[in-house]
Amino acid sequence: MSTICPKVIYLAATVVMNIVAYPAIIVWTVLGIIIFPFGFVLCKAFTGWEGDRIMRHFVWIYGRGWLFLMAPFVRFKREGFRDRKISAPCIMVINHLSFFDTYCMALLPVSNIAFTIRSWPFKMPWYAPFMRLANYLDLETIGWDGAFKAGNRVLSKGGSLLFFPEGHRSKDGQIQRFYSGPFKLAVETGVPIQPLCITGTEVLLPPNRWWFLPATICLRALHQVSPKEFTGETAHGDLRKHVKNLMTENLQEMRENLKK
Amino acid sequence: MNDQEIIDLINTTLANEFELNIDDMVPGAVLKDDLGLDSLDRVDMVIVLEKAFSFKIREEEAIREIHTLGDIHNFVIHKKQEME
Repeated sequence: MSTICPKVIYLAATVVMNIVAYPAIIVWTVLGIIIFPFGFVLCKAFTGWEGDRIMRHFVWIYGRGWLFLMAPFVRFKREGFRDRKISAPCIMVINHLSFFDTYCMALLPVSNIAFTIRSWPFKMPWYAPFMRLANYLDLETIGWDGAFKAGNRVLSKGGSLLFFPEGHRSKDGQIQRFYSGPFKLAVETGVPIQPLCITGTEVLLPPNRWWFLPATICLRALHQVSPKEFTGETAHGDLRKHVKNLMTENLQEMRENLKK
Repeated sequence: MNDQEIIDLINTTLANEFELNIDDMVPGAVLKDDLGLDSLDRVDMVIVLEKAFSFKIREEEAIREIHTLGDIHNFVIHKKQEME
């Protein structure tokens, strides 16, 4: 009996989660689309922020709403944010496990972040206009040269960039090959790399599954890494390898902690 | 260094640098589609090959015509023969 009960509760929670979560996200998205224009005007009048900065803050608020909606079924944990200051601007790099990794960036204590992503998210008509207003970078369309120029503009205005250096979601949960782009940009600009590690979203919604499972999601901030410690022609490659090693070690530790 | 040793050195050098599976390093592998090497990786590829073989190739026009791993093998073998 004692072993059946948790399984039944888990199954019931999964069913309720899938019945409730998707409609809730849709309602929250529609509400956001309706409210945003008014919020934008108010924000512009009272903060004096530029349009892209305001949009990024609204995306962050939208993400906070998503965290609230998922909270009955998902346990969210943050690690490393008390003793490690996320100084901006920086270039954030994070492992990629799920479509909802981007939503979990609302766990970050900062909102002025431009996401660098592939083309397909820009094809979602309900998100695309907002992503363009926030000056998100469509890497596949603009290429690395364009990304470096656009990235420099974001960084020069005090914004941070967020990259998924693996390029796409991991199918087996393991960290994949890292591309060099964000590290090359860090070396060229002197802006520090902020490594982030996420676990649990591969349980919530991995690639090739459309229904949710209850999960514990943990986002950990590592110490920032200065690119100035890496010199020479292979600086960005060395920086990439160093950051990947740090992230691999931390992800392993996070997964072991979860098993305890 | 014979041709097979050159091929082996190219394969291990690129596999180490770009975290590729050595089993995928076949001559017909297309750099972009099969090995996932993007435009930045191609620049890095030239740098690591220059280091591995102690030559300078970054200014060579033929580099732009490389599409497969086999093209790299042939290019480097030809370059080494030129140097001898």
